[in-house]
Amino acid sequence: MATLLELKGVSMAFGGLTCVDALDMHVDEGEIVSVIGPNGAGKTTLFNLVTGVYEPTAGDIVFAGESIKGLTPHKITQRGIARTFQTLRLFLNMSVRENVMAAAYGHTKAGVFRSMLRTPGMRREEREIRALAEKRLAFFGERLMGYRWDQPAYSLSYANRRRLEIARATATNPRLLLLDEPAAGMNPKETQEITELISQLREEGGYTILVIEHDMHVVEGISDRVVALDHGVKIAEGTFEQVATSPRVVEAYLGTGAMERK
Amino acid sequence: MDYDKLFQTIVNAATLGSTYALIALGYTIVYGILKLLNFAHGDVFMVGAYVGFGILTLFGGALDPSISIWLVLILMTIAAMVACAVLGVVIERFAYRPLRSAPRIAPLISALGVSFFLSYSVQLLFGAQQRTYDSFNWDGGKLFEPAITIGSFTISWLRVITIVASIVLMLALWYLVSRTRTGKAMRATSIDLDAAAMMGIDIDKVIRFAFVLAGALAGAAGVLFALRTYLVPSMGFTPGLFAFTAAVIGGIGSIPGAMLGGILLGTVEALTVTYVTEWIGIPVGLSNLVIFSLLIVFLLIRPQGILGRPDIKKV
Amino acid sequence: MSEAQGPRIGEDEWVARSGENIERHRLLRLADRVPGWARLLLFVAAVAAIPLITDDGYINVVVFDTLIFCLLAIGLNVVVGWGGLLDLGYIAFFGVGAYTYAILSSEQFGLHVSSFAVLAISVVVGALLGLLVGLPSWRLSGDYLAIVTLFVYQIFISLATNGNDLFGFDLTGGVNGIANLDPFDLFGRELVVAKQGIFNSNYVYLALGIFVVVFVALYLVNHSRIGRAWRALREDELAAELMGMPTDWLKLLAFAFGAAVAALTGSLFASLKVGVFPETFSLTLLITVYAMLILGGVGSQTGAVLGAVVVYVFLEALRDPDVSGWVFYVTILLALLLVVRPRWMVAGVLAATVAFGFVVHAIAGAIDETWTTSAGPDADSVTRFLDAWVVIPATPGDARAIAYIGLIALVLFCTTVKGVWRWLALVPTLYLAAFVWENIMSADPDVTRFVLLGALLVSVMVIRPSGILGERRVEIV
Repeated sequence: MATLLELKGVSMAFGGLTCVDALDMHVDEGEIVSVIGPNGAGKTTLFNLVTGVYEPTAGDIVFAGESIKGLTPHKITQRGIARTFQTLRLFLNMSVRENVMAAAYGHTKAGVFRSMLRTPGMRREEREIRALAEKRLAFFGERLMGYRWDQPAYSLSYANRRRLEIARATATNPRLLLLDEPAAGMNPKETQEITELISQLREEGGYTILVIEHDMHVVEGISDRVVALDHGVKIAEGTFEQVATSPRVVEAYLGTGAMERK
Repeated sequence: MDYDKLFQTIVNAATLGSTYALIALGYTIVYGILKLLNFAHGDVFMVGAYVGFGILTLFGGALDPSISIWLVLILMTIAAMVACAVLGVVIERFAYRPLRSAPRIAPLISALGVSFFLSYSVQLLFGAQQRTYDSFNWDGGKLFEPAITIGSFTISWLRVITIVASIVLMLALWYLVSRTRTGKAMRATSIDLDAAAMMGIDIDKVIRFAFVLAGALAGAAGVLFALRTYLVPSMGFTPGLFAFTAAVIGGIGSIPGAMLGGILLGTVEALTVTYVTEWIGIPVGLSNLVIFSLLIVFLLIRPQGILGRPDIKKV
Repeated sequence: MSEAQGPRIGEDEWVARSGENIERHRLLRLADRVPGWARLLLFVAAVAAIPLITDDGYINVVVFDTLIFCLLAIGLNVVVGWGGLLDLGYIAFFGVGAYTYAILSSEQFGLHVSSFAVLAISVVVGALLGLLVGLPSWRLSGDYLAIVTLFVYQIFISLATNGNDLFGFDLTGGVNGIANLDPFDLFGRELVVAKQGIFNSNYVYLALGIFVVVFVALYLVNHSRIGRAWRALREDELAAELMGMPTDWLKLLAFAFGAAVAALTGSLFASLKVGVFPETFSLTLLITVYAMLILGGVGSQTGAVLGAVVVYVFLEALRDPDVSGWVFYVTILLALLLVVRPRWMVAGVLAATVAFGFVVHAIAGAIDETWTTSAGPDADSVTRFLDAWVVIPATPGDARAIAYIGLIALVLFCTTVKGVWRWLALVPTLYLAAFVWENIMSADPDVTRFVLLGALLVSVMVIRPSGILGERRVEIV
């Protein structure tokens, strides 16, 4: 399988604080890879680096064979990387449907003049965007269907907001989907649904997925591979079993001496 | 080389610069804490000048004061400082504080409203015509006589007073900010408001203190400024804009930056008016154009200002 | 930190409280049911009817000027409302449009370009300038952009005021501006500005036509993927950028649009005038346009138009001393109704104020006769009442400033107390307000109207930051 995303010796330093330290990792096409690690390990920073919010202070990031280091975030998104956010960043005052339609901007092209003149091309494109949004929302079944499409995003429940954010990300037509703690704050039933959902995203949507997660049930349920970070450094990589039993990982989560007590 | 012109330009720069510095300090202190562009500050400065005028009139005016004109000057300055400090606090309490958690544009628009209100209120009360302290006639013109003479160069009393008073005030401010507890609290709040609040600092009190300082300095600057020129209700806009620019150039949020920016801007203005317009060959009235163009370029190159921290740039 | 009163603007609420969030007045919800195009049609019909109903040239000029302000407001709405940028130099683009017309259609350079061509040129010039000025937004955050736009404004004023000697070349006519502008040329037919001294109402129709075109064009752009992107950008700029929207370019686009509209309006404005002068493009004008937009509700085109109409009519009405008195007292009454609860207590407060007033008047008259005046025999009943009630000294002198400042202090005090204390405090406040009005404000209505506008602007911001028609939004700080 081809490598879709590759980080080569990527470092991110803010002044004296190094958040990510010479990280090498890759994600192959069609894989679901989970990134785990204690808080402060640099996981969200990793996402920010890949999506272009930060520019690495060292190293290179290669996506689909081309370096994306230094590109602006919207250009990176247009190349095929989309993400969700740890703290949920929806367009709250826009409707559910509009949230998803907005994300189609990057691969549509009706400009100012065509919009003002309402050319047939522009109108057709609008219909297509609308259909795309509804299709992406339909993926989540009853929860984000029908009358919900016209509701403002702030009226959704927490779990639905998380789903909406994923739907919105998929509307950019990405190849690689970055999910930042998709199960955060969810009860066991919702967590189970999310786990199934992520697998479905790969099966039906064909997306390559990189997930940050704390809930090990989810990680176990979805991952082809797991990468563990601590203090910005990769400390383990492999299948879930391999990583979960790796001494360094146990130490990072439970402290030194945990291995001895085990 | 016309040394006299050069010397006058330098003195000019110092005079202008010191006034700008006083006003700029007000902008920078408030912005440092509230991240708010206090558009009304220039008009507070204007009110200070008019308060001075009111006091001058109260004591009989420039030509026949009931007490020593120099005493009147001191009273004018104190009155202006007190009045503007109070004004600043009132503005903060009623026009800015209710908007602390509103979208960022709201306090800015409120500031525009306050600015409008102040300048037109003064026009209502004092009329739109030019007023003057008539400083030329004070004590038989003493203000314009040479105070310091270096060889063939002279500096008038007026300029000496302006510069010295500004320096004294800035030193007082520096003392208040770096040596008192409230001053330290102010600096902490301007670095991180939430953290300061969590450390037990009374944010409201700190903000009030900031506006008191800003107002007092602006009031004094108003009186000093009006000594050299006339008063109109709209007099606050351009010096306010210049002073704010000075604060930004020096590094918004930085007190030494505001002082440095003020001097720098005063120098740029003095040089442009005297020399640059000649070099380029444009009328003196266009010096503003040159100055503002330079400022735009400067901001693009170094938005955080000379002494500012680079976090101002967009993420 | 402070008391909670429902969803506070600026804080995200996890629990959906949609009922509170879409808290629009009954009347507004009714208005919402009228579709957009119908509302526009109603507006056009109403405005078009005015020149048919009245021959009064003054009213037609007011209508024309109102339309100019409507255009300026919807243009500013694109920059501030849709793009989220603070453009404090907006009036400079208005001025550039005006000067473009002046340069291309007058004796200044002997050019007499056809007017629609001038309008088109203005739009292009405005857009290009807007792009140029907006470029700093790529590197500078919102506050800094605001400063840069102020500089641009200063540069414009500097150029306009001193442009009569640019290396010996007279571009802008300096302080005296450019005069003797050609009237608007409508497809070859010249639109005379005034027929026999009466304003040519065809200008109203011209302005109305241009307004409709601009309004609809902006509406169409806003209801497209670009408008969606602008909305997303306002909601959460980082998220928008990460969802593939080029936020820098979108902001620049908004900026340029606003500038283009302002320039177009400037040219239209100039066609009517005798000449263009630098002092027209004042800070006062800028703040007035902002007031219109803010009061109407930022982000809403309808709001912008409504704000423009209300504020401009208000400003014009306040010029007339007779009308302004009525407006003042009626506004106070309305404000009382809003502020005093329960509502019937308003009558109590008013009665107490009237009584208080007579007492004060009597005392003042007793102390010194010159402190009160009495109206002549021809004065109408209202004036006679006011003279018997309000203390109107023959020579106010220093009391003016003290009374004025006292009034401000009292009004602010009233806002800080509640219940019974508020009612009690209102009595002397109202009386002092009448005093200040009769003695100070009514003497100079041109200035007073701006004082009131400033006060109104601050009040609206504090009470309802989203403007009168704006929706209260849930926002992430």
